[in-house]
Amino acid sequence: MVLAEIAVLLIGPLLVGLSMGLDRKLTARLQNRRGPPLLQPFYDIAKLLSKRPQMLGDLQGLFALFCVAFQAVAFGLFAFGGDLVVAFFVSSMGAVFLVLGAYSAPSPYSHLGANRELLALLAYEPVLFMVIMAVGINGSFLISEVPPGLLERIPLALVALLPVLVILLEKSPYDVPAAHQELATGPYVEYSGPYLALLELARWYQLAFVYGIATLFIWGPRPAGDVALKLLLAFALLFAAILIDNTTARLTRRRMVLFTLTAGVGLIALNLIVLYLAGVI
Amino acid sequence: MGLMDRIGARSPWILHFDTGSCNGCDLEVWALLTPRYDVERFGGVNRANPKQADILLITGPVTKKCEDRLRNLYEQVPEPKLVMACGNCASTGAPFHNCYNVCQGVDKVIPVDVYVPGCAARPEALIDGFVKALSLWEERSKAAREARE
Ligand code: SF4
Repeated sequence: MVLAEIAVLLIGPLLVGLSMGLDRKLTARLQNRRGPPLLQPFYDIAKLLSKRPQMLGDLQGLFALFCVAFQAVAFGLFAFGGDLVVAFFVSSMGAVFLVLGAYSAPSPYSHLGANRELLALLAYEPVLFMVIMAVGINGSFLISEVPPGLLERIPLALVALLPVLVILLEKSPYDVPAAHQELATGPYVEYSGPYLALLELARWYQLAFVYGIATLFIWGPRPAGDVALKLLLAFALLFAAILIDNTTARLTRRRMVLFTLTAGVGLIALNLIVLYLAGVI
Repeated sequence: MGLMDRIGARSPWILHFDTGSCNGCDLEVWALLTPRYDVERFGGVNRANPKQADILLITGPVTKKCEDRLRNLYEQVPEPKLVMACGNCASTGAPFHNCYNVCQGVDKVIPVDVYVPGCAARPEALIDGFVKALSLWEERSKAAREARE
C-alpha cells in the first residue's frame, strides 16, 4: 500500500518531466531546430545533483527544501483524493517559500525576481482558486467525490486554466518572474547545483497539481480510456501553451495581472452566472 | 555508475564571457544557439549565470581590466567545470601580441581545457570544441568517481 503511494508520488513529476522534454523538443521544431533529446530535463536534474553544492546561507537551502516538500504534499493530497482547497493552499505555501528563498539572497536580481514572482502569484492564484470553487460548487471539494461531466458544465473554467499554465510554465507573454532576457531566471538566479534541482522538482510537482486539476474535467469510459483521455487533455493544454509561447512577445507585468484578473476570473464568473440562471446550481 | 558520467556530459549549461574581443568570435558563439547550429541538440543552453554554468565559453585576449572579473566568474562556477577558449585571441592573444593592455590569452588567468583556433573561430570548429569538451567531461567525472572508489 505504501509502495503504491510512493509510486504515485513519483509518477506525477515523472510525467511532468517528460512533458517538459516534449515541450523543449516541440519548441525547437517550431523554430526549425532539432532540439534536445526527450529525456533532457532528467539529464539536467541528474547533472545538477552531481554538481558541488554552493550556498549563500543556510536559509536559502532550507527554503528550497520547504518549497519542494509543500509542493509534493499538495500533489500528494490531490493524487490520494484529498481536499482540493487544502491542496491549493499547501501549493501556494510552496510558492511562497520559493519567494522567501529568493529574498534570502542578498542579490538585486534575486529580489527583483522575487517581487515579480509575488506578482505572478497575485495573477494566477485567484484564477486557480476560482477554478477550484467552480469544480466544487455543487457539493464536495474532495477529489474522490468530484462528479463527472465537469467539461459540459464549466468549460470556461478549463479555458481559464490556460493562462495559469502559461505563467507556471514561464512562457511568453507571461514569463514575467523568470524573464530570461533581463533577470537571468529571476528567483532562481542565486540557486545552483542540487538546490536548483530541488526547486525544479518543486516546479514539476506544482505543474503536476495544476495538470491534475485540468484532468478532473474529462472522464473516459474504461480506466484505460480514462487515462488516455486525461493525458490527451493535458497534452492539448501544453501544446496550446507552446503555440502561444512561440507566437507572442513578453507583455509587461501589469498586463499580466490585468488580464488574468479580468479575463480569467471573468470567464469563470460568466460560466457560473449562466449555470445559475439555467438553474443548475 | 558509468551511466552518471555520461548523463552529466549531456547537460552542459553555457556561460559566455567576452573579455574584450573584437566581437567576431562572439557572433560565432551566438550563432551556435541559432537554428542552423543548434547546440541544444547536445543539451547546451545559455544560462548567462555563472552559478548555473558548466562550460565557460571565453572570447577575447583578456584585457587587464577584465582579468579580475574573469577570475571572479570562474570562481563562482561550481565544480565540475570546463573552460573553452574561443578564437585566436582567447587561445594565445595572437592578434593583440605584445599589446600593453592585454594578458595574452585566457590561460594566463584561469586554467583552459579546450582551445578553439580561428580568427574568427568558425561555428563548426566551435561545435567540434564543444563536443571535445563533453568527452573531456565524461572522462574526468569517470576519473573522479574511480578516485573516490
Ligand atoms: S580571434 Fe579574431 S575574430 Fe576572434 S575576437 Fe580575436 S580578433 Fe576578433
